Amino acid sequence: MTGASARGGANRIAGGSQVDYGKPLGFEFEGRRYEGLAGDSIASALAANGVWLLSRSFKYHRPRGVLTMAGHDGNTLVRVGNEPNVRADRHPISEGLAVKGQNYRGSLEKDRDAWLGRVSRFLPVGFYYRAFYKPKWAWQRLWEPWFRKSAGLGEADLAAAHGYFDKAFGHYDVAVIGGGPAGMSAAAFAAKAGANVVLIGESPVLGGALNYARFDVERAGAAKTRGELAADLEKSPNLTIMTYAACTGWFADNWLSVVRGERLHKIRAREVILATGAVGQPAQFRNNDLPGIMLGSAAQRLIRLYGVRPGRTAVVVTANDDGYGAALDLLDAGVTVAALVDLRPESGTAPCEDAVRERGLTVFNGYGVSEAVPVRGNRHVSGVRIAKIGERGAVGDGGQTIPCDLLCVCNGGMPAYQLALQAGGRLGYDDGRSVFSITGLGGHLHLAGAVNGALSLEAALADGRRAAWRAVQALGIGGVTEPVALADPTVQRMRPHPIATHPRGMDFVDFDEDLQVKDILNAVAEGYNEVELVKRFSTVGMGPSQGRHSALPTARLVARATGRTVGEVGVTTARPPVSGEKLGVLAGRGFEPERHTAMHHRHLEAGAQMMTAGLWWRPAFYGPRARRADAIREEIAAVRENVGMIDVSTLGGLDIRGPGAAEFMNRIYTFAYVKQQVGRARYVLMTNEAGAIIDDGIACRLSEDHYYVTATTGGVDRVYLMMLWWNAQWRLDVDITNVTAAYAAVNVAGPQSRALLAPLTEGIDLSGEAFPYMGVREGLLAGIPARIFRVGFVGELGFEVHVPTSMGEALWDAVTGAGTEFGLRPFGVEAQRVLRLEKGHIIVGQDTDAMTTPEEADMTWAIAKRKPFFVGKRSIEMRGRRLSKRKLVGFTLDADGPLPEESNLVLRRGEIVGFVTSVARSAALAKTIGLAYTARDASEPGAAIRIRLSSGGDVNGVVVAPHFYDPENKRQEM
Amino acid sequence: MKVMRCPLNGERNISEFTCLGEVSEPPAPDGASDEAWAAHLWNSNNTAGVVREWWCHVPTSYWFIAERNTVTDEILRTYAAAELFAKGNNE
Amino acid sequence: MDPAGQTRRSFVYRRLAEAGAVFGAVADVALAVHYGDPDAELETARRLGLADLSVLPRVGFKGAGAAKWLAAQGVSLPEVNGAAAQPDGALAARLGPDEVLLLGGLDGAAGLVGRLDEAWAEASTVEPRGYPVPRRETHAWFVVTGAQAADMFAKLCAVDLRPQSFANHRIAQTSVARANAIVIRADLAGTLAYHLLVDSATADYYLPVLLDAMSEFTGGLVGHQALQALLQ
Repeated sequence: MTGASARGGANRIAGGSQVDYGKPLGFEFEGRRYEGLAGDSIASALAANGVWLLSRSFKYHRPRGVLTMAGHDGNTLVRVGNEPNVRADRHPISEGLAVKGQNYRGSLEKDRDAWLGRVSRFLPVGFYYRAFYKPKWAWQRLWEPWFRKSAGLGEADLAAAHGYFDKAFGHYDVAVIGGGPAGMSAAAFAAKAGANVVLIGESPVLGGALNYARFDVERAGAAKTRGELAADLEKSPNLTIMTYAACTGWFADNWLSVVRGERLHKIRAREVILATGAVGQPAQFRNNDLPGIMLGSAAQRLIRLYGVRPGRTAVVVTANDDGYGAALDLLDAGVTVAALVDLRPESGTAPCEDAVRERGLTVFNGYGVSEAVPVRGNRHVSGVRIAKIGERGAVGDGGQTIPCDLLCVCNGGMPAYQLALQAGGRLGYDDGRSVFSITGLGGHLHLAGAVNGALSLEAALADGRRAAWRAVQALGIGGVTEPVALADPTVQRMRPHPIATHPRGMDFVDFDEDLQVKDILNAVAEGYNEVELVKRFSTVGMGPSQGRHSALPTARLVARATGRTVGEVGVTTARPPVSGEKLGVLAGRGFEPERHTAMHHRHLEAGAQMMTAGLWWRPAFYGPRARRADAIREEIAAVRENVGMIDVSTLGGLDIRGPGAAEFMNRIYTFAYVKQQVGRARYVLMTNEAGAIIDDGIACRLSEDHYYVTATTGGVDRVYLMMLWWNAQWRLDVDITNVTAAYAAVNVAGPQSRALLAPLTEGIDLSGEAFPYMGVREGLLAGIPARIFRVGFVGELGFEVHVPTSMGEALWDAVTGAGTEFGLRPFGVEAQRVLRLEKGHIIVGQDTDAMTTPEEADMTWAIAKRKPFFVGKRSIEMRGRRLSKRKLVGFTLDADGPLPEESNLVLRRGEIVGFVTSVARSAALAKTIGLAYTARDASEPGAAIRIRLSSGGDVNGVVVAPHFYDPENKRQEM
Repeated sequence: MKVMRCPLNGERNISEFTCLGEVSEPPAPDGASDEAWAAHLWNSNNTAGVVREWWCHVPTSYWFIAERNTVTDEILRTYAAAELFAKGNNE
Repeated sequence: MDPAGQTRRSFVYRRLAEAGAVFGAVADVALAVHYGDPDAELETARRLGLADLSVLPRVGFKGAGAAKWLAAQGVSLPEVNGAAAQPDGALAARLGPDEVLLLGGLDGAAGLVGRLDEAWAEASTVEPRGYPVPRRETHAWFVVTGAQAADMFAKLCAVDLRPQSFANHRIAQTSVARANAIVIRADLAGTLAYHLLVDSATADYYLPVLLDAMSEFTGGLVGHQALQALLQ
C-alpha cells in the first residue's frame, strides 16, 4: 500500500478506510488553501499536506501538533468559522471550510509570544498566586488584561448568530458506551437476547481499534472480526446505533448525557455497559511535546483511517507489544523505521515481534528516550536521544541521538475510567504489574473490554458478551446461556516509560496547561501532597483533555515525591463532562413557558407595553414607551374621573367545594367564613405557620358548600399546593380545584362603570340597592355567562367580571365596544399600582416580606381571633405578645421633591429602621405617597420619616394613615 | 437525574417532584410551650438515615410520602398520605 | 366563518389563521377545517400532524363520589391513567381514582359530555357525585397524529411515549416543554395519535414550540377534515 496518491496531499497513500479517494475537497487553514479528501478530519487533511503545526500551547506558546488523532487532546484546537476550540482531529473537512489557529500573536507559524517558553523558569507553577498582587493596582490594570490576552484558548465571537441546538430523550433497556470490539460484542449479545439496546460510539464508524490497530502480522483478523460484529449488529431490529456521539456524563439511575452534533440526548437505560476502552499514554522526556511526536495509535490512525503517511523516518518507543504492530504499519506505509526502542529489558514472543526482526529493524531493549531534539523554533522533531534505563529505573545520561521526523510513543493505556468513576467506581493500580482495576460499581453498571483490563482482542470480545449477559440477567430476560469466560491469554508484560526529568525542563506532564515535571514536584514541595490539592494549585488536568494524559504521570510523580504507591495516590474526582460540551448544546432549544390571557392579543393590538408577572404577560400601560408617564397618568385619570378596564385574568382562582368547605376556609384563612352569606364576597388573608402574610384575595360564597376564591397572580400555584398539602393531613370532605386558567376576568372601574355595563347585562340588576358593595351575582353579560363581583381594589365604583376563558376576548370586545361612548380606557398594571396605593391596599410580596405579620401591616381586622384554629394562629398570638420593632405605615412627601424608589432605606439618627415598599406621585392628592416600614415608636400619624435616596441624599416626610384617597370609601361603595 | 416512583403516576424523573421536608408531628398549638412551638417551626432533625418526607408530583399536584435514606439518597418506598393520616383528623 | 366573530374562540385561533387556516362550523363552533389542501394534510396527518381541538366539548369531574356517579351514568371507566372510548366517540380519561376527564368526539356534538353536564346539574341526590371541572376552559386541546408523533414528543417530554412502551389509551400526566400537560394516546383508526391537554393560558406558547419540534420531520398543522379522513 505504499506509493503516493495523486490527490489529497503529498503525504497521501492508499488504504485509508474512511476517506473517499475520488472526492477531493478544498479547504483553508490560516488563509492558505489545501486539498484533502472527503472523510478527512482537519488534522488528517493537514497532515496529508505536511502541515503538522496545529496550535500554540496555553502558557509558553510552544508549537503543538497531532498527538492522539482521537479528539482526546488539547493540541488540535482550532477555530472553524465563528466557533472556537474545535478539535481538528474530530471535525471533518468540507469544501471551502475556513480554519484558523488559536492563541498566537502574529501568525501560528511565527508567534510573537513564543519567547515565553524561554522565560519559563520565571513563570513557575502557581506563579500568579504570589507574583502579581503588588502593587495593588497592577493586577486589574496591567497583569490580568495581559494574561487574558496571552494565555488561554480561542475567543468567543459575541456577534455570532445563535445556532439551532436541540435536546431529545431516549429510553433503552441497555446502553453500551463504546463502539470498539467489546462494545460491539456486548451490544450484539444483548440485542440478540431481546433487549432494546443503544450502542454509542465516539468515532464516525464503529470498530474502534479494529479499524487501525494491528492485532496480527497479516492484518486479517481484525477485518474479519469487524465484519462479523457488524453483521450481527445489522441483524438486530431492536438496536439503535449512535456513532460520532460522545457520552459526556453518567448521572443517578443510569441517566446519560450523549452529545451528537448539535443535539443533547438524555438517555435513561436500565442497564449500562461501559466499554470505553483505554487511553494511550504519552511519555515524559525533554521536548516531549514537539510536533512529530505522537502516540503510536495516532500514527496508525493516520495510516489506516485516512491514508496519510505520518513521517519519513520514524523511531518507535514502546512499553509493551503494541510498538511492534505500529512498526509494521509504518513500514507498510513506506516510512523508514530507524529504531524500535523497547523499554523492557527483554522482548516477548508476540507474533509481530518476529516479523519486525525479520524485516531487519534495530531493536534497542531496555532503552528509553531522554530527550527529543527539535528543529529551529521547536516546530518539529528532528531526532531522538535514547539511553539505557539504569538500575533505578531512570533513563541514563549519554546514549545516542537518532535522526527522525516522527517519534511514535506506545506507552500503554490507562482505562477510560471517567464514566465508571462518575458512577461511583474506584480506580485501583497494581504498581508492580502496571495493571489498573475498577471496582465498586453498583448494580446495573457493567464494564467490558480494555476499561475492564481485557486487553487482547479475544478477551475484549468475550468480556463484552459476559457484561451483556449480566445486563440481560438483571433485566430479567430468561433463557440466555451464560457465555464462557475467557481468561486474558497473555497478560502483557509492560514497562511504562520512566519519567525522564531534565534539568532544562520542557518535559511536559500536562500539554493543555503547559505543566512540566518540576511544576508537579514543586507543588508537592509547597505542601500540596494530595492529587486533589496538586490539581488545584497547578491546574493539572483542568484543560480540554481533562487529565486523560496527565493523571497517571501526576500520580506517579506525587507517589514518588511522597513515598507512596500510585494506587495509594490515586486520581482526582471524575466529574462530567468527560469531553467538552458547547454551551449551545446544554442550553438546547430554550423552553421558556409563557402564560397569556385570553385578551393578550387585544392588548398588543392596542399598543400595550407588556411586563411579566411570574409566567404571565400583562399590560404595563398602553401606548409608546416614550409616553410612559403620560399614559399612566391618563389611565389613572380615566378610572378616577370616568371609566377604565383592566385585564385581571391572571388572578388565581380556586374552587373550594364540599360539605367541609366552610371549615376548610376557616382553617386556611385568618378571617371567619362559616357565617359568610351566599352571594357575598369577603376578603381573605393567608398566613403561614410562622404567622407571616403569604397571600390574599377575595372569597365568594356561591352556594352553601362552594367558595370561589381568588389568589394573587404569583401566589396561586403555591397556595393551591399548600391547600392540598394541609388537606392531605386534615382529610376534610372538600374538593380543591385550581381553576385559574378557566376564567378570564376584567375589572371595569370608575364613576361611569355602572352606566357602561348595565345595558350589557341580562338577569343582573347593577344598582347600588340590588347589588351592594362586596356582592356577587351570576348572569349574562353581552350574552356570556359571567360572575360579577363588586369589589374595589382601585377605590372607585367597580365590577369585576369573570367569564369562561374561551369567551374572554369576546367579553373584552363587547365592553370595549360599549365603552366607546363613555370614553372607556384600558389601563395597565402601572396605573393599577398607583390607584391601589392611593387606597392604601397592600400587595402581598411587595409591601410584605417573609416576616410581615398582620399586626405589622395593620390588618388585625382580618383576623377572627375567636376561631379555635387557623394556620398561623399560634404564631400570631406568640408574636402579638412580643411585638416587632417595625410597622408598615403610609407616608407623604412634597410632590415637587425627589421621588424615592422601592427598597430605599428609612433611617433614624443614622440607623436603619425600615425601607420603602411602594411609592408614587399621586395626581389626585397632589403629593408623593408611599408605604414603608419604619420604627414602631415612630409610626403614629404625624411622626417624621427620613428616607435615604438612591442618589445618597435624604428626603423628609411625614407618617400618615395609609388610606390616602377617599378614606370613607364613599366612591367605591356608591 | 434520579427516578422517583409516584404512587399515582409511576416512575418519573425527580425533576417532576418537589419536596416539602420531613413529616413532623406538630405539637398541639394550644398546649405546647412557646419553645416547643418555635422548635417545631424552625428546627429540623437533619437525620442521617431513613427519613419520612412529603413529596409532591407537580404536574398532578399529588402529595405523597416517601421514605428516603439521606446518607445513600436511596428512595426506599413511596405511598399515599392516607396511610398516615386518617380521615377527618383535626389538626 | 370568522373565529373572531364567535363568542367562543380557540386560544390559538390567530396563529392558526396566520398559518392559513380556513375556519368552518363544526357543530356550533368555529374549527380550522383545513389549510388549503386537505389531501396533503391527510398525508401530513399520517406522518406527523397537529390539530387544535380547543373549542370542542369536554368536561371533567373530580372529588368524592365522582367515579361512582359517572359509572352510574353509564360511563365505562378505565384504571387510573388509562382512557376508555365511549360509544358516542367520547373518551373518558381517568386522571385519578376520583378524577375523570371526558373528551367529546371529533364531530363536536354535545353527546355524552353535554348529557353528563346536565345530569350533574339536575341531580337531586344527596349522595356524593364529585364536582364538575370546566376542562373546556382550563385546558387547551391539541392532537398530535402520525407515525413520527413519538419521535417529536421525545424532544419535549421525558416520559417514554413510544408506541411499543406506551400502549393505546395510556395517559401520562407530566411535563412537556417545561410546562404541565396531560398526554393521552388514542390512535385514530390505526394512526398513532396523542391528545395533548395543556393549561389554556400556555396554548399560545405551545403551538410554536410544537411546530418547531415537528419541523425536522416535515410535520405541520392539519385541519379537522384531515382528522375525519383518518377515521374513515
